Amino acid sequence: MIRFERYTLANGLRVIVHRDAGTPMVTTNILYDAGSRDEDPAATGLAHLFEHLMFEGTRAVPVFDAPVMMSGGENNAFTNNDLTNYYITLPASNMETALWLEADRMAGLDLSEERLMTQKSVVIEEFRQRYLNQPYGDLMSLLRPLAYKVHPYRWPAIGMDISHIENADSDLATRFYRRYYNPSNAILCVAGNTVADDVFSLAEKWFGGIPAGEHNHRSLPREPEQNERREMKVSRKVPADHLLIAFHTGRRQSRDFYVLDLLTDILAGCDSARFSEQLVRKKELFSDADIYLSGEIDPGLVIFSGRLKNGVDIRKAEEAVSDELNRLSSEPITAAEMEKARNRYDSHRLMSYLNASNKAFNLAFHELLGDAEGINTETEHYMSVTEEEIASASSRTFRPENCSVLYYLQETT
Amino acid sequence: MTTRHERPAPAIITPSAGDTSFPVATCLSNGVPVYILGKGTVDLLRVEFVFGAGQKMEKVNLAASATNAMLTEGTARYDATELNNLIDSTGALFNHMADKDTAGLVAVTLPRKLDQVMELAEEVLFHPVFPEKEFRMLMEKRLQAFLTGRQKTSVIARETFYQALCGENNPYGRIFNRQDYLSLKTDALRELHSLCYRPANMYITVAGKDPEQALPVLEKYFSRNSNERWHKPSPPPMEFNTASPGMLFCEMANTVQSTVRMGWKAITRDHPDYQSLQVATMILGGYFGSRLMRNIREEKGYTYGIHAVSGAFHGIGYIVILTDVANIYREDTLKEIKKEIAALREKEIAGEEMELVRNHLMGEIARMFDGPFAVAEAIRGVIDYDAGLDYYTRFASTVRTITPGKIKELFNTYFNTEDAFEIIAGEK
Repeated sequence: MIRFERYTLANGLRVIVHRDAGTPMVTTNILYDAGSRDEDPAATGLAHLFEHLMFEGTRAVPVFDAPVMMSGGENNAFTNNDLTNYYITLPASNMETALWLEADRMAGLDLSEERLMTQKSVVIEEFRQRYLNQPYGDLMSLLRPLAYKVHPYRWPAIGMDISHIENADSDLATRFYRRYYNPSNAILCVAGNTVADDVFSLAEKWFGGIPAGEHNHRSLPREPEQNERREMKVSRKVPADHLLIAFHTGRRQSRDFYVLDLLTDILAGCDSARFSEQLVRKKELFSDADIYLSGEIDPGLVIFSGRLKNGVDIRKAEEAVSDELNRLSSEPITAAEMEKARNRYDSHRLMSYLNASNKAFNLAFHELLGDAEGINTETEHYMSVTEEEIASASSRTFRPENCSVLYYLQETT
Repeated sequence: MTTRHERPAPAIITPSAGDTSFPVATCLSNGVPVYILGKGTVDLLRVEFVFGAGQKMEKVNLAASATNAMLTEGTARYDATELNNLIDSTGALFNHMADKDTAGLVAVTLPRKLDQVMELAEEVLFHPVFPEKEFRMLMEKRLQAFLTGRQKTSVIARETFYQALCGENNPYGRIFNRQDYLSLKTDALRELHSLCYRPANMYITVAGKDPEQALPVLEKYFSRNSNERWHKPSPPPMEFNTASPGMLFCEMANTVQSTVRMGWKAITRDHPDYQSLQVATMILGGYFGSRLMRNIREEKGYTYGIHAVSGAFHGIGYIVILTDVANIYREDTLKEIKKEIAALREKEIAGEEMELVRNHLMGEIARMFDGPFAVAEAIRGVIDYDAGLDYYTRFASTVRTITPGKIKELFNTYFNTEDAFEIIAGEK
């Protein structure tokens, strides 16, 4: 059970505090309700590029990192399709410095053309390093536009194409900042060795004067129901074929999310899971076979991802995956498999409580979903999943007309 | 009321490293050392078994890591399927770990499952049978991963560096090839296992909430049934054959970036300057605002990141600078690295920069000791390299007292770029 207190400032900033007296540190985590799904399809990658610009200093703090370092802290950020998240972990005695820094960069940035140019080129190198210069680095960039035709989940957070980043200008960046980087669009969570009243009054002191700004009421295009199988084939210079199969499923908060999250753990969460047993060990089709949920807030995907053994025909491998998924109706999940998954869930949940920064992000994320209390109530959602629910969610999801298949093949020279 | 902008910034309180001591080991009745790391707040136990069973112990290439991976693939009592089922049913997580020097297993478990999990740990650590089918599957998978690595500029540059530094026959410098994966036999695993996975050659760390509760259970499974007594391990002698400095170009086809790695031989942990050198390296390239990050990333935009590290194995130390840059920038990157080093050799750093790095490092040390799971990770390096249980207490005091004058001296002593291997991996 993660206890917390909550307070909302007049400008709409939501503040959550979790006390953990077992650490000498605190983490201040600030989550902005803006991700790559909020981008214009002609200018993707902007949310992530903007995350870089948030470290480029303000008039009051020309070098963002300097006070963090002076305080003995570390900090970082990440952007995904749904949100942008920033955190600072530092000794509890310097908590106010972190709150000051976050408030300062929320209130105003010192965006120069020169800094924008440099960060564009840093992000382009990041694009190359993580997605283009890695074998299998572009798997998800290929799968997304196959599975989504309309919804902005069709591009990855890094962007659809390097040219979008090259073309970003300071006007675009300024508009993005004004629209999304507002108190009413942010959630601040502080976790660690502190008490709620201190955080609330310091939040009032540093964030209280920032105008509320616009709240991000998004209306994104709904992905139409898929009604025929999609297939794509690419060849790359890689040592083995790779198979991706994506099925559409519900929102992060739908019942199906919890049911399928538990199911995918039963199928591939551990060495004794069905996929490892059948597809890897017994049939020897894959060297690795995983299935997981994309975990996004809007309706997401269940993704099968498997690296083929050399010499195996990819269609035959795909058939074996389908057989396993169909087997869920003929040979339902057993009580022992359920028990195993629940035990594993329990250990994983406790492990996620080990550090305060993890708890800080998770509380903020659940608040974004609607209620930070979700961090606690979620356990019940998982524990109450029944074998019947798994069977019905499977037959609803694992349909041929609901799937997109990517054959990522070894180039033959 | 004043507005936010007029308010002075909050005063910064100089961070302290906190309690940086490691506990002295308790021993099982057969002498196996157990380090108890308590004060946890989450109801989990992490038990780590470390053996002197790393790559440097292998007589046949790849034997050490394969032995470790095969521990859970079948034992005297259970086949792989039964074993995995038993482990997974407890909800425990078993992580394999095998590096150049040591190898072992980490088990994280709910306290109520401890007895069952330790019984399984004993079974996999001491009674594996290395079945052929599972072995073949493992090696096929590893060969695939190896071949994938052959296409990564960062992997090729890293291997080339350690080979140049330590020599091609040294376990730290050895580069494997396809044939190694095809010719390894289970006999080599059995031999390494019987030699290295023994009570005489291990230690245990237990971390979490009330870790003392593990002691009787460890005694039951890891001491009572064995006649062998622990003795301080003596690692095999090592021969180093460092190459002469210079440019090493690793040509690869169609890369959109190149990895640049520049490094040279330095000092080991027992040298009085070792800890100070960690601070100096950090100033050059150990944090986001370091000299190299500011120049190569934040001013020029050549890279997503550039880092400088000083480290040491048993018997050899090194300093290395590494980055992935667009192909057209790689020569200029090497030039700029040398320029930054030259600047630090010529001029003392300002007091503020010193203070910044000092404070940041104090915070880093405090984070390394934040909770028993973190401490369990920190203590391994200290035990494995015999660095002394007061290692971080000494380090905190070095960080507190080091001066800009000493930093300049270190750059002049240990950063001679004429001694460097300049490695570029990427397209022609």
